[in-house]
Amino acid sequence: MKTIEMAWRNLFRQKRRTLITLSALIIGLCGVVVFQGYIGSLMRGFRDSTIRSGIGHLQIAASAGYFEDGEFNPFAFQIKDAESIMDGVRKEPEVQAVFPSTGFTAVAGFGEKSVTLLMKAYPAERMYFTPASGPSSAPEDRFGLGTMIAGSLAAPGQEDHIVLGETAARILGVSPGSVVTLMAVLPDGALNGRDFTVSGIYRASGRDKIFAFTDYDIAMSFTSLGAAPVIHVLTKDIREVGAVAARLPPGVVFRTWHDLATYFVQVNTMFGGFLNVIRAIILLVTLFILANSMNRIVRERMREWGTLRAMGTRKSGVLLLVVLEGCFLGIVGSALGVALGSGVSILINQAGGLPFVTDGQRIVVRILVSGQSVWLNLIPAAMVGALASFLPGLRAVRLTPSECLRQV
Amino acid sequence: MSLISIRNVQKSYRLDKTDTPALIDINIDIQPGERVCLMGPSGSGKSTLLNLIGCIDSPSSGSVVVNGSDTHTLGDARLSEFRNRTMGFIFQSFNLIPVLSVYENVEYPLLLQKVPARERKARVRALLERVGLAEYLGRSPENLSGGQRQRVSIARALVGRPRLVIADEPTASLDHVTGSSIMQLMVEMNEIEGATLIFSTHDPAVSRYAKRIVRMTDGRIAEDGSAA
Repeated sequence: MKTIEMAWRNLFRQKRRTLITLSALIIGLCGVVVFQGYIGSLMRGFRDSTIRSGIGHLQIAASAGYFEDGEFNPFAFQIKDAESIMDGVRKEPEVQAVFPSTGFTAVAGFGEKSVTLLMKAYPAERMYFTPASGPSSAPEDRFGLGTMIAGSLAAPGQEDHIVLGETAARILGVSPGSVVTLMAVLPDGALNGRDFTVSGIYRASGRDKIFAFTDYDIAMSFTSLGAAPVIHVLTKDIREVGAVAARLPPGVVFRTWHDLATYFVQVNTMFGGFLNVIRAIILLVTLFILANSMNRIVRERMREWGTLRAMGTRKSGVLLLVVLEGCFLGIVGSALGVALGSGVSILINQAGGLPFVTDGQRIVVRILVSGQSVWLNLIPAAMVGALASFLPGLRAVRLTPSECLRQV
Repeated sequence: MSLISIRNVQKSYRLDKTDTPALIDINIDIQPGERVCLMGPSGSGKSTLLNLIGCIDSPSSGSVVVNGSDTHTLGDARLSEFRNRTMGFIFQSFNLIPVLSVYENVEYPLLLQKVPARERKARVRALLERVGLAEYLGRSPENLSGGQRQRVSIARALVGRPRLVIADEPTASLDHVTGSSIMQLMVEMNEIEGATLIFSTHDPAVSRYAKRIVRMTDGRIAEDGSAA
């Protein structure tokens, strides 16, 4: 169609002016793309660490009540055929790891001191504590639970051991090798007490006062639980969670990481909103700049509109030509902005990334360069271009062809 | 039956809150195939009358009937189609579309008529050959001389096989020699294609190419007769 071709070619009639008009959009979107990539990368890391800090991609329970108040009171939520469910899920090609966990509240005593602990128990081979000497991420089939600052996670099969948080250990005054007494209430109301050897002390900001870890089998024997209250599933790819969930056997309930990682979802939504506000401001500024530019263009080309209409182009045809030119301006501007932002991101990544400090540790964030930026920015920019050119376009068709032709 | 029939036409423009008359009580008939020159000084109303005949403006009162249609009553869509199929325009400053090549400029009216591609190509090439620009198909109008641009403009005006060609001071932007060759070409086209040609000028040398001369003064037809 000639109108599309003409609108496209019109962009290049005054290249310098087009570029100046688009500079606000290009520079603004470049900034948005870099910021979006930086935040995106941080949020991806935050998401993965949240998933691997004890949630998993998917949790399977016997009833929905478990997800409300069963995490540390598992007795009423045992999954009767947990083993066969786990065997079935393990066979799914998208699944990385399947394992049970349990939890309970306990009072830990050492000498005259005591603390209340929320005990979490996973199979020992699924727990991972980062060594204190330097940062390293957890293997993909394990939960990363913190940084081991003293001692170690006991090997599977070792009798009654516990990994205490740094704050809890300091309150109790214990170190690796110390023996603490754990007391917990059993399902029948009886109080059970047993000695546990402190095998390691971990650090995790905000968690190490209250959370302590032990092996799943030890916890099951200590609490006299017959079956797992919850099963965790780690998938090979986060995008496959839905497919795995869809094939779960009937009679169980599940929650995805998205349902469970509420804090992550809130933070992610907040940053998403923040980015959208910045994007909206840039588009609003662009709207005014483009509208001003399109007004000038329409005024300058009055004789052209008059000629087109004299030859038989309808008013709507001229309006479409102007609006399409505005659309193309928006599309080209946002494409250049996204390309420039992607280029800057790649350069920053090649220079080593951007620093970010978390838990006192300085990490380097590599900026995420994603094709999603293109669609997120291109379509709104095209719409802004169309909007900015609509009123100037109406001006072009409001006059009669002879009035247009009289304009100098 | 007249190709153009203008009755009791008045046209005034509103300038500084007062109506300024541009055409006063115009009555004229033009027959198919005629070659008419509107002559007169600047401000005499030549261009305004051409605009009314070309349906790119409407009269303040009176009627303009072209090819049997009272153009004042047509809506935008029908009027646009009417202009596209009935008329060709040649402008003083050529008014070629700068983002289209010579070929595309001439092809444009045929695209609006939805003429099939093969026929379009044949008609555009044939006309450009006749105006002596067969070698310039892919060129931008900006790379042509004034005379060449006006030839493209003539080809564009004629490509849709209009019944009426309107030329507003077609030689005013050209030197004398080029102007004469352009007028010669327009006369040839009028004779070969049979399209009615109405052009305006204030140059007596250009008016020689008309068979009928309508002299205008202060918005009125002062004289209407055959060329000497």
